[in-house]
Amino acid sequence: MRIHRTAATGLAILALTLGALPATAQEAKVPVQRVTLDNGMELLMVERHESPTISAGWVAHVGSVNERPGITGIAHLFEHMMFKGTQTIGTKDYAAEKKIMDRLDAVRAQMEQEYTKLRAAKRRGEVKGNIYAPENQTPRLKELRATMKELQDEQHKLIVKDEFDKVYTSEGGSGLNAFTNEDMTVFFITVPANKLELWFWMESDRLLHPVFREFYSERDVVREERRMRVESDPIAKFEEQFGSMFWTSIPYHHPVIGWPSDVESISRQQADQFFGTFYAPNNITAVLVGDFDPKNAVALAKKYFGRIPRGAHEPPEMITEEIKQLQEKRMSAEAETNPMVEIRWHTVPFVHKDKYALEILSSILNGRTGRLYKSLVEKQHLATGEPYAWNNSMKYDGAFEIGAEVADGHTHQEIEDALLAEIERLKKEPVGDHELQKVKNQSLADSYRRLQSNFYLLLQLLIYDAEGNWQELNEAPARMQAVTAAEVQRVAQEYFTAEDRNIMWYSRKAGTTEDPELAKLSGQAKQAAKQMLRQLEQVKDPGQLQQIITKLESGKDQAPPQFKPALELVVERAKKRLETMQSKSGEEK
Amino acid sequence: MRRTTLRAATLIAALLVTAAVTAGGIPPRPEKLTFPPLTFNVPDPGAMRFTLDNGIPVYGKSDRLLPLITVQVLFRGGAYMVPKGKEGLDAIAGKAWRTGGAGDRTAQQLDEDLDFLAANLSTSIGNTTGSVRLNILAKDLDQGLKILMDVLTRPRFQADRFAKAKDDLIQEMKKRNDDSADIERREWSRLVYGDDFWINHLATKASVDSITADDARAFVASLIKAGNIVVAVSGDYDRAAMKTALDATLGTLPKGDSPLPPVPRAAQPAAPGVYVVDKPDVNQGRVSAGELGVSLGDPDEFALRVGNDILGGGGFTSWITKRVRSDEGLAYSAGSYFSFPAQYPGFFRAFFQSKSRTCPGALAITMKLIGKLRTDKVSADELKTAKSSFIETFPRRFESAERTAALFARDELMGIPHDYWKSYREKVAAVDPGAILQAARKHLHPEKMFILVVGNLDEIMKGHPDYPAKLTDFGEIHRIPLRDPLTLEPLSEQ
Repeated sequence: MRIHRTAATGLAILALTLGALPATAQEAKVPVQRVTLDNGMELLMVERHESPTISAGWVAHVGSVNERPGITGIAHLFEHMMFKGTQTIGTKDYAAEKKIMDRLDAVRAQMEQEYTKLRAAKRRGEVKGNIYAPENQTPRLKELRATMKELQDEQHKLIVKDEFDKVYTSEGGSGLNAFTNEDMTVFFITVPANKLELWFWMESDRLLHPVFREFYSERDVVREERRMRVESDPIAKFEEQFGSMFWTSIPYHHPVIGWPSDVESISRQQADQFFGTFYAPNNITAVLVGDFDPKNAVALAKKYFGRIPRGAHEPPEMITEEIKQLQEKRMSAEAETNPMVEIRWHTVPFVHKDKYALEILSSILNGRTGRLYKSLVEKQHLATGEPYAWNNSMKYDGAFEIGAEVADGHTHQEIEDALLAEIERLKKEPVGDHELQKVKNQSLADSYRRLQSNFYLLLQLLIYDAEGNWQELNEAPARMQAVTAAEVQRVAQEYFTAEDRNIMWYSRKAGTTEDPELAKLSGQAKQAAKQMLRQLEQVKDPGQLQQIITKLESGKDQAPPQFKPALELVVERAKKRLETMQSKSGEEK
Repeated sequence: MRRTTLRAATLIAALLVTAAVTAGGIPPRPEKLTFPPLTFNVPDPGAMRFTLDNGIPVYGKSDRLLPLITVQVLFRGGAYMVPKGKEGLDAIAGKAWRTGGAGDRTAQQLDEDLDFLAANLSTSIGNTTGSVRLNILAKDLDQGLKILMDVLTRPRFQADRFAKAKDDLIQEMKKRNDDSADIERREWSRLVYGDDFWINHLATKASVDSITADDARAFVASLIKAGNIVVAVSGDYDRAAMKTALDATLGTLPKGDSPLPPVPRAAQPAAPGVYVVDKPDVNQGRVSAGELGVSLGDPDEFALRVGNDILGGGGFTSWITKRVRSDEGLAYSAGSYFSFPAQYPGFFRAFFQSKSRTCPGALAITMKLIGKLRTDKVSADELKTAKSSFIETFPRRFESAERTAALFARDELMGIPHDYWKSYREKVAAVDPGAILQAARKHLHPEKMFILVVGNLDEIMKGHPDYPAKLTDFGEIHRIPLRDPLTLEPLSEQ
């Protein structure tokens, strides 16, 4: 076990490049302590004593990019399964439960044989549509399903529902949650400062003795989640296909939530295998931010996490690269949305040196005083809302997207031309000094704002670690300041080529209208707002909602500019909702 | 020999027991963990306070972790001062204040300069107070304060941005009848405080149309006076330097003439009875029952807070939620709360939403439970759970320097004594069953409450065979018409 202080190298870079900045800029370095346990698990710690709480989390370095055909969606399904409890938590009698689960698996295996037949029948054209749909059930399947239902009911009597959540809540834990994306699965919570050991107990227990109870019904829940988030969403279902069109060979090609055929067939055995490979401690980093003593935390980490054995094999490396795009691709969709245009190019992975110039470039285009708004909205009146630009560098590859909504009386082609004209301008002339300095100033200030809350700091460390470099937290500000106008021009020329363009035109489906307040937002912000609003609807506890509002409000300053209007709308709606509830502390969790 | 054997046996037994209970010192269940006590001391507001040359009090909490500074100018005044015929002025002025430019800068120049400084500046005007907040890199504080002074003293309310602020408000108003929750909120406020109370002076299309940039300028000018302001600063600063910088800017604001008019407190609550807004297109009724309450700082405040947590504020374990929702399945959401505004009286409100026909049944249960708080002592267990929920979450109010500074500044602005927070947890801890009983008897009068029902009246009147209650059991029925969203004139019944 080793303890490293943050390397001084970052500081040296700062000193070299930030001559114009005050000495305090260097003080913003976050002192991160890193410990590696004997089993390969990493622990990152940031001490902060402003408030008596600890934001705690861990990230498994696995996301949808690590999946293969047949089990797409399994990483996200796991995020759900990790809340189902352990051999201790969530059960009245684990031994009895285990017997039932083994029988469930056996029934499930027999069902799978039926589905194999149904798949064959579908290939021959004898069965149409979804093989899992009720109308396609064979008599044998119905029988098996009935047996399964009986077993599930039997198991249900042994389950203590949501106990994992309840243990934390009753001890003052708040904001227990998780997310999965292409590269990572992240779990987090905030606990009172004196409850650090509880966190170690709970998290090590679910890594050491997880029980994937209610596996098959949870799979249905995820299927429903797909219906809600993707299939019933006017835009998300098209974005999924656009994403699949954009990524050709790299496994970013399939959606994080998985293809429906796969999500409905994943078995518990596949889940066990997946867990053994990717949830081994040598594939996990834990992070603590807040009011604790690192010595004590390290001792607890050794005691609790240290007992988890290292994985039998190292997780396999993801080696499939994106193939070079040969020609421009286009897609158009009629959706219940305002007409809009999106253009996407391939860029670079998260740790690539060109990422910083691409980030600066996107800021030049973004915001109320950015080039896209000034040109497309204020000068030419072609677009409504706020046009956006976004570089999304993930672990293995990246994408850059710009987009805008078409104003009444104008055409998609006009918007496309105007967006591309701004890109051409970036290629032809270097950005001006004042303009460059403006976005650098914003970048620097935002990098500080992002550090204000323990929770956001926690999330950043978890995400940066999973994307390949947790030191990004301290290194990025200096590297952003070092970007030159020439570099911005060079990356524009290098990445925004005609043959690499992917262009999406949305037009409004006849006879549909949109929430007028959402309509005011631009594409990406609108998607984010919609998703947040839907998630907000799931929050039934005023306390939790209040917390979310507080977090959103403190997050407003830290959010990328194109998301600010979305956050404001969501906060406004959340407050309204809270007011209605206020009282009603009576709603369900 | 014998003794040794015994000792060895004891030791082995002890070891066995320990092994059964803990593997490697790890208890088998999380409940077996023991935690050190959590100590949290409320920061000292006195140590944070200083005054500027013109008397403006400042609450400062330095936090040198990040090179950012937040300056919040909090001021008294707001919606209650808006003259008749200009309803909506507070909202429009609050918004266009920031977007409309200031001093020598047009709206666009102000946006541009703030963006160059990477600063966030926001303005808002609320019911009885408002604020202007600046968040800026520490090195740019002087420039930021100059802009802040321009915004405070020389707002431009540029025509295009002013028109947009008005238009946004009109769009908002158009949705007033879309959601029955909005109708309920509006009518509830009218029942509690009466039509003449300032809170119920709502914007109409005519009032918004009549509002000019000059109105907004005059309104803002009436609020931004030294005698009317408390400032909160937090972040990366040195106290002496901050005082100098603030004295050179905010410290030059003129004291102002007479103080603002006081917030009117005299409410005229509705007579007891059942008030109904008929909305035939919904299948769920929204029901509220309550009465006028007290302000923050009332001697019974904490007994009422804790008591209400047990009655209907504490989620699943609270009486109303448990009975109406969990036991009877009559409502998804059901509960109760007290509001405690600092400058005018609050109210008590019990509420639920239920299928139209079960509304009277759920109401009967709810009213009975409110009565129960007046007659039965709460149990020790209930009291313990309620108290710990207040105490556990208390430190979060001080989780950042900015929140702490703003909290104390706001207290001084509203006349709330600082001791309120210092003794908050003791006040919660001191509440006993007798105090709750006494407070409930004094402040809750089920037989005198007004009841608001928004929903399908025909269906609600029918009641439900499983529940004998009828809506008429709760008092005389008064119909309240829907109102036109833009004029607020009563709409004729369909």
